[in-house]
Amino acid sequence: MTDTPIRALLPAGLHDTLPPEAAHEAEILAAVSQCFAAHGYERVKPPLVEFEDTLLDGAGGATASQCFRVMDPLTQKTMAVRADMTPQVVRIAQARLGGEPRPLRLSYGGDVLRVKGSQLRPERQFMQAGLEVIGSDAAAADAEVLSVAVEALAAVGIRDISIDLSLPTLVPAILDANGVWESRQELMLALAHRDAGAARTLGGVAAPVLEALLAAAGPLERALAKLSTLAMPAHAAVERDRLARVAALLAKTAPGLILTVDPVESRGFEYYSGLAFTLFARHPGIELGRGGRYMSGGEPATGLTLDLDAVQTVAPARVRGRRVYVPLGTAASASAEARAAGWITVAGFETVTDAAAEARRLGCDHVLTGAGIAPSADQS
Amino acid sequence: MAEKLVIALPKGRILKEAMPLVRGAGILPEPAFDDSGSRLLRFSTDQAHIDLIRVRSFDVATFVAFGAAHLGICGNDVLMEFDYPELYAPLDLGIGACRLSVAEPAGMAKDDDPRRWSHVRIATKYPEVTRRHFAARGVQAECVKLNGAMELAPTLGLASRIVDLVSTGSTLKANGLEEVEIIAEVSSRLIVNRAALKTRPEEISGLIDRFRAACEARHAA
Repeated sequence: MTDTPIRALLPAGLHDTLPPEAAHEAEILAAVSQCFAAHGYERVKPPLVEFEDTLLDGAGGATASQCFRVMDPLTQKTMAVRADMTPQVVRIAQARLGGEPRPLRLSYGGDVLRVKGSQLRPERQFMQAGLEVIGSDAAAADAEVLSVAVEALAAVGIRDISIDLSLPTLVPAILDANGVWESRQELMLALAHRDAGAARTLGGVAAPVLEALLAAAGPLERALAKLSTLAMPAHAAVERDRLARVAALLAKTAPGLILTVDPVESRGFEYYSGLAFTLFARHPGIELGRGGRYMSGGEPATGLTLDLDAVQTVAPARVRGRRVYVPLGTAASASAEARAAGWITVAGFETVTDAAAEARRLGCDHVLTGAGIAPSADQS
Repeated sequence: MAEKLVIALPKGRILKEAMPLVRGAGILPEPAFDDSGSRLLRFSTDQAHIDLIRVRSFDVATFVAFGAAHLGICGNDVLMEFDYPELYAPLDLGIGACRLSVAEPAGMAKDDDPRRWSHVRIATKYPEVTRRHFAARGVQAECVKLNGAMELAPTLGLASRIVDLVSTGSTLKANGLEEVEIIAEVSSRLIVNRAALKTRPEEISGLIDRFRAACEARHAA
């Protein structure tokens, strides 16, 4: 008997979600989805598993190292489990909803599975909810995606949010324009660490611009002022101007929001083709989601994904509904009335002598009696 | 009221060099911080919203990466080993200078051709850096993780080579080893938690600027 399975042990990064957290998660998904729907984002539901070559085609390629693979016994082809839902939504927008009018607004919510958790989040399975606008290049689309996400977070009780706006294509564009090819990887890593000293040594002719970009990071107004004085390649300037317009639009739709700019942020944003954004809760400082501009096939698109496990850690705990114990033999109509009045009813299956004690044992602070609903608190 | 800012400082050698910069940045710890008899691990400062913690150098990076501390001071050897995407290292403090090097018993290189290696066995506190360094030239490094006294490994047959921090080289010499290759120059960096920098930009950039000024003042002196 050396390998008796330990029944409760789950693989690393996977866990059971119990009451009341499981209900909280469902409520968060429902509230967020409802908010997306109210703004005209129609829900799609892709499958958990797809053929590897379709799931990892195009935008999905970035998730290749994070996907579990299984063999489909029917076709003998390799299938992959989604590690992110956005590539699936992009596929749907192109392959099935290609005939729908643009801009196409889609939303989604569901679990994803990853080969490896990150340092901050060891979970390998967690829930995402997101929204995408496909077929619009307007700054208003980026601003809408952000303001809807902010509204959705407010709906689950998270109000203190800051958004970091970044331009992941800016640094590569500047390096290309300046012909900096040597030790590019080391340079990108130095920038990922915000190491101004190393950027100065490795940056060559681009060093002054890179230093200026590093110094520009921070609160919106200051960053915009610094960025506007910098010479940059035309297509990079387009995204910088988009950043300014999105910030101006957000100031109207979501006043009070804290906006920061980080022009050198690019690690983890390889998938994006323009303006990108990261949403943070401020107390405690936790990343709640990210998104940005990308190409959906040949169409310009923008979108945002919220990681609901992070959202749940910040969202105020749900108020548990009031539970009332319904002794065996109580009229069904009385029980139904209680539910209609917002009570959670817990029915007894056997006759008990002390209904109040039984109620307390089952976590009910009230008992339904012939005279109505009474507290089950111990009177003695 | 915002939560307190926590700055993680490394115990030991670097702390002595780091404290003038911390004080230079206008952060004066409570007296217990300098009392070697004190068992406290967390200290208040004259700045009501700033606390200091004192942990091992490797743990500074971990505390800051997970947001348990907001800023910290640690060597880029630690940053290279962990490569936490949640850490920014905006400022080289120019203290704690040394290098991360490969060392082996003196005379070993004489009849050894590194081009023929497919595999080396190395005792180190830095298995990730070591693996990456040797993998880049097509050599698989089998690392024996030690937390100290690496210099003993070759003489006792635990591993033929070591990867460790070298400052003067006198410990190597005393143990019959010689430095054969420098992997990286090391110095201490001011590190910042990514989410903290983005959600409290004014406060944190202000502190970074104060440390930068303290560094410049020190180098000017």
